[in-house]
Amino acid sequence: MKYNLIASLSVIGSVIMSCNHNFDRIPVHENPRSEYAPNMYVSEAYEPFTLVDDSAAYPEEYNVMPYNNGMNMRMPVPGTIKRGYTPYSVSKDSLEWANANVKSPLDTTEQILAEGEVLYVRFCAHCHGETGEGDGPVSTKLAGIANLKSSSLKLVTAGHVYHVITHGKGRMLQHGSQIESSDRWKIALYVKNVLQK
Amino acid sequence: MAKISEKTHFNMSKINILRSVSRTLVAFFIASVATFNTIAQDSTAAAASGADAALIAQGEQLFKENCKSCHHVYEESVGPALSGVTKRRKTAWLHSWIRNSSKMIADGDKEAVELFNKWNKVQMTSFPTFTDAQIDAILLYVENAPKPAAKADPSASSTTAQGQSASGSSNDTLILGIVVVVLILVLVVLTIFISVIKRFLKEKEATLAEDDKELVNQSFDIKKFVSSKGFIAIVSVIFVVITIRACWLGMMDIGVHQNYQPVQPIPYSHKLHAGDLKINCNYCHTTVYKSKSASIPSLNICMNCHTHVKKGPSGSEDLIKQLTDAYEKNQPIRWIRVHNLPDLAYFNHSQHTTVAGIECQKCHGPIEEMEVVKQYSNLTMGWCINCHRETAVNAKDNAYYDRLLKVHEQAKRKGDMTAENIGGLDCSKCHY
Repeated sequence: MKYNLIASLSVIGSVIMSCNHNFDRIPVHENPRSEYAPNMYVSEAYEPFTLVDDSAAYPEEYNVMPYNNGMNMRMPVPGTIKRGYTPYSVSKDSLEWANANVKSPLDTTEQILAEGEVLYVRFCAHCHGETGEGDGPVSTKLAGIANLKSSSLKLVTAGHVYHVITHGKGRMLQHGSQIESSDRWKIALYVKNVLQK
Repeated sequence: MAKISEKTHFNMSKINILRSVSRTLVAFFIASVATFNTIAQDSTAAAASGADAALIAQGEQLFKENCKSCHHVYEESVGPALSGVTKRRKTAWLHSWIRNSSKMIADGDKEAVELFNKWNKVQMTSFPTFTDAQIDAILLYVENAPKPAAKADPSASSTTAQGQSASGSSNDTLILGIVVVVLILVLVVLTIFISVIKRFLKEKEATLAEDDKELVNQSFDIKKFVSSKGFIAIVSVIFVVITIRACWLGMMDIGVHQNYQPVQPIPYSHKLHAGDLKINCNYCHTTVYKSKSASIPSLNICMNCHTHVKKGPSGSEDLIKQLTDAYEKNQPIRWIRVHNLPDLAYFNHSQHTTVAGIECQKCHGPIEEMEVVKQYSNLTMGWCINCHRETAVNAKDNAYYDRLLKVHEQAKRKGDMTAENIGGLDCSKCHY
């Protein structure tokens, strides 16, 4: 009798405990949930893009500087050069000069063109369209997107394309800050050698 | 109070109906006028000779390829509306303007400089390759282009798009509910059965044996049952087990921020930008293929479009204004980071996106469908390890893995080489 009881109880217990642990039942919440040992969770060194200014929950050393709008991102010291950065000193107005004189440091290989296509789709296609005809989904909201296959743009060099990506032209703003120099060249070569063919 | 509100509600709906009826009437009127216009124009176009029609078609083709992005025929766009341009300007002037407008401005042509200044000093692309005949064809098309049909009032149709789908009820609860209902029905049917049989047997009580009589007249003593040892033991064990399980789950959830959905300072919609407009993740999160962190975009990336786009879905003008104001004040927006891995674990985006070639959605879920982003995965250690156990390493065209693959083959391990096989589960991979 006693053993029977113990056996049945352990069966019930194991059935209840063995239900799968499912985090999905955590409801949608606006504030972070409780954490355990914040000194192992919150970096003492600044973690990029984090905003820890809840001084009630965390000791002072985990809070980012109050005098930078609470953020840990800083303007770099003037004159700082980013690692791997290639300077491009041709000014925005010198488009014609760039068209004639700026040459690609990369060779036009199949691999470069394939990489250029990937980058084109990521950075350009939503406006200029996958085929380059200026008919990407954003063109419904933003007028003045160039047709890269138009007769005038078929005349320009890859240097022109590079210059326009770097500095912008017309309604297009500069994209030099968000696309690396070598990647801009890959896109320019792809536009000239594949898209416009 | 309720009555009044009902009444006003009724009145409001009446007004709405009136409004929509009048709107459709107006739209219908505009549309009919527009179609009449196009019919009239078509007849004039038909009157023109066949050679002209061919020229117009050629001009239309050229216009679509070269001019459409900045010029419309009847509406102002980036550049002026072109209808009637041959009456406003001389043909020779137009030819030289289209071939090289910047040279005319530099040479100080009065008309050209005036036009340049009027249109925010946006330089028109030069088309030096156009022949005289091609330019004439474009101009002929511009003067003979059919007027676009007037669009119906957009505000009338926008109301239908606002209803958001809120289908959150899962299948599981439905099935559970059905099972419960069925069980209750079975219970009811069984009690009815028992009472019917008891009544039937009581009528024939005299003929029953002594044992059976006891069974029929048995009364259920609830007090006795509740105070029985077995019952108390079972109930207390169930209680203890449930309590322990609740505590266990509660502890397991500590530090798990799944479904964290903070309210951002400006309610940016990933559904609109990444879903409908198909802007690639990488366009804004610029370092996701190159660096440990995916980066939260700075304002100048927003301004790439929002310098020009000032109006979106209803109510967004103010929000876009907040954005442009902050940009002009050179003040960053305090976006709230949604995915926060604890400092004790190391994670690198580029290793997973560039080397492994994993799609963003694998960990972040259907971001392109989220109006407000939430943490989709639980980001626990078990979750990381599962994937490292199951996923084959993307070793294609990557010389780094050549020797590891060879070792994997020599050791005759089953299946593809996973991250686990090459040390992906070592403590020091992520914790150091």
